[in-house]
Amino acid sequence: MSSLFDDYQPGSFFDEMFSAAHEPRGHYESIMDSIGTLTPSEYAARQRTADAVFLRQGVTFTVYGDDQGTERIFPFDLMPRIIPHKEWERVEAGLIQRITALNLFLNDVYHGQQILADKVVPADLVLSASHYRPEFKGIKVPHGIYIHICGTDLVRDDKGEYFVLEDNGRCPSGASYMLENRNAMKRTFPGLLQSLPVRPVDAYGSMLRETLAHLAPPGVIDPNIVVLTPGVFNSAYFEHCYLAKQMGVPIVEGRDLILKNGRVFMRTTNGLQQVHVIYRRIDDDFLDPLVFRKDSLLGVPGLVSAYQQGHVALANSIGTGVADDKAVYALVPKMIKYYLDQDPILPNVPTYLGVDPKECGYILDNLPNLVVKAVNESGGYGMLMGPHSTKEEQDEFAKRIAANPRNYIAQPVLQLSRHPVFQGDHFEGRHIDLRPYVLYGDRVRVVPGGLTRVALKKGSLVVNSSQGGGSKDTWVLWDDE
Amino acid sequence: MLSRVADSIYWMARYMERAENLARLLLSTQDLLLDAGAEAADESQFWGPLLMTTGDEEVYFAAHPEAEGATVADFLALSPKNPNCILNCVRTARENARTIRDQISDEMWECINSLRLFLESPEAAAMHRYQSAAFYEKVLIASYQFQGIASSTTPRDEIWYFLRLGMCIERADKTSRLIDTCSAISLDMPPSPLARPLRWAALLRSCSAWHAFQAYSSNKLDPVKIIEYLLLDETFPRSVAWCVEALHNTLTALCGSGRLDDMKSPIRACGRLRADIAYITMPDVLKEGLHEYIDRLQEKLNDIGQTIYETFVRYSDATPADSEIAAATPVLAAHGAFHTLAGADMQIQQQQQ
Repeated sequence: MSSLFDDYQPGSFFDEMFSAAHEPRGHYESIMDSIGTLTPSEYAARQRTADAVFLRQGVTFTVYGDDQGTERIFPFDLMPRIIPHKEWERVEAGLIQRITALNLFLNDVYHGQQILADKVVPADLVLSASHYRPEFKGIKVPHGIYIHICGTDLVRDDKGEYFVLEDNGRCPSGASYMLENRNAMKRTFPGLLQSLPVRPVDAYGSMLRETLAHLAPPGVIDPNIVVLTPGVFNSAYFEHCYLAKQMGVPIVEGRDLILKNGRVFMRTTNGLQQVHVIYRRIDDDFLDPLVFRKDSLLGVPGLVSAYQQGHVALANSIGTGVADDKAVYALVPKMIKYYLDQDPILPNVPTYLGVDPKECGYILDNLPNLVVKAVNESGGYGMLMGPHSTKEEQDEFAKRIAANPRNYIAQPVLQLSRHPVFQGDHFEGRHIDLRPYVLYGDRVRVVPGGLTRVALKKGSLVVNSSQGGGSKDTWVLWDDE
Repeated sequence: MLSRVADSIYWMARYMERAENLARLLLSTQDLLLDAGAEAADESQFWGPLLMTTGDEEVYFAAHPEAEGATVADFLALSPKNPNCILNCVRTARENARTIRDQISDEMWECINSLRLFLESPEAAAMHRYQSAAFYEKVLIASYQFQGIASSTTPRDEIWYFLRLGMCIERADKTSRLIDTCSAISLDMPPSPLARPLRWAALLRSCSAWHAFQAYSSNKLDPVKIIEYLLLDETFPRSVAWCVEALHNTLTALCGSGRLDDMKSPIRACGRLRADIAYITMPDVLKEGLHEYIDRLQEKLNDIGQTIYETFVRYSDATPADSEIAAATPVLAAHGAFHTLAGADMQIQQQQQ
């Protein structure tokens, strides 16, 4: 019988679905049997239905630079990515290990700085991170937790080995798409979801709420939690709203909040009401014009002081960016060893630091073969993809690296794993990554799966939505039978 | 509930109601022209009053010399130049809905968003050109759907009350404007040559009141009876009296009626208007002059809108400590999401027709 996948070529990459041409991996067999039997036009019709639902529901992000503020849907590929139970168990253990070490590190850096004193990691490197906030040294944060919500980026290489690419410990986004992708799959392929033991993700909202409630100031039994957004014009406004709704808490803008006696209140139709926990989706810089950027209109004057006094909790805490710095990232395996006396379950991608003279020389000599990243950028900006770059771009980066070596790191180009993605009337392999969401409250909670991001452009390795990426639903199985 | 959210809910409801009224008005004018025969030779006497109702005469005549049917219809339905056209009303309603979509049901949001997607599509423009009645009906049905969904999915708490406030105040304003378009027409009955029975019938239709009025009045199409019905009857859900009563009840549910000395200002303003409408008679109205009476009525409705904003969004009613905060906080004026009614400018803009 002919199948939609007859002509599919896994190529020389690690393909998530096929071990070789026409040979699906075990956990993909049932999906191969069902989706494979559709005709291209049947499949395309389902894809269109799913797209129309996203548009109607307004599951969109804003494209700037148009007076109507054009909204686009985040491209969604129906073909789910499946992760077997055994594989996920290891990933989950690795994520828990990592967020635990990162929080111990942050607590240490903002208090005794023992790890620096013991010279396990170089003090000047850590303390020169631009997101290090010296004004927060010695400030107690609730339960000593700094990163409550983490969106670690994982990739797999050409052997299928998982690596941590980045720890997004500031304001990781995308959880709403993970939830909406699952809803779309429920509508488009209900039978398929029924036939496989797929672990649900819809508890994310209540998990997030429990995580946030744990931070409430002592004595507050039923805390008022809010989501703080930069506002309706922010490209991720949909997500902010969506998560607030999932948790059943208000979404506020800076101008809805006001400080009184060192406490934070929101302006309601019944007057002022105290706020205890803020899930903020605004960067440190804009949080409080009295402390950080003076020109910020998005923040709340006095918020930082209220936080320092313990009257209100912030998630994530301030200054977590020091652990998010791409040069500090290279030190995480050492942190895991130092704090937990364990070997990392999920390895780092090998990383060369611009700040180390020897490694910097290596970077400059090998620009065409490396990925160079600015240490504070995210979203795929400030990056040089060596093999795809021109001589001019390489020269430009060489100049920048020489001028400010602390600001750059380089990594070998990983051949990211690929997954079949529907292109018009057939499937082609595209590179993917995985962003699972890790919540650290009274305990660590990991949502099974996460957001699988796809580099939709042929050959591209950049999966960020701002750079032409799309996404897929991610199915973690209960068991591998 | 957050003040800003209350404000957005209120404006979302107002703009949806505004779009609905516009669609109905266009539909009934079109029907009127089909019945008017020779009288319709001078189109502008039918289309001109429409522009008056919506308050867009200035913008329109700046761009077009004459009130010609197709141009006016297009201007009021889909013209990007007209901030108050159906399309832009729905866009504004939808933009307000988007900022508060965590507060309203998914069904409400999808209804409003689907309507916007339709109106922005090429199909909508073609439908308006070739089957305009179907176009208007589609807008009407979407609005009824929105109200139905709102009514069956919204808890009867603040969200519901602010929805009601927006809807009632907009509807009262619109009905009064519709009556005003006929204030220059003779109140004579046939066989007087001055009688304009078709215009009065169209007025009823533009308020969806034709059937209700037939059942109510044995005195078919007596202009004074029609005005009385649309202005003072407390049973018909588009009459000014009904809207003001509903408004008053909603305000009372929202903040209690209070004692006379600490009564919230919207309740006071609305209660006075309600009493006025409840006890005035048609001879009194006509003695003052229909147009003058309606002018005064609209001023009061605007006042109520303003006090709602002052009380629930700006806190000028609040205790001294809180009103200090209100005064000291420039926040509402900052980096405006456009639904914000921070500046007085914006307030006027949103209320203006």
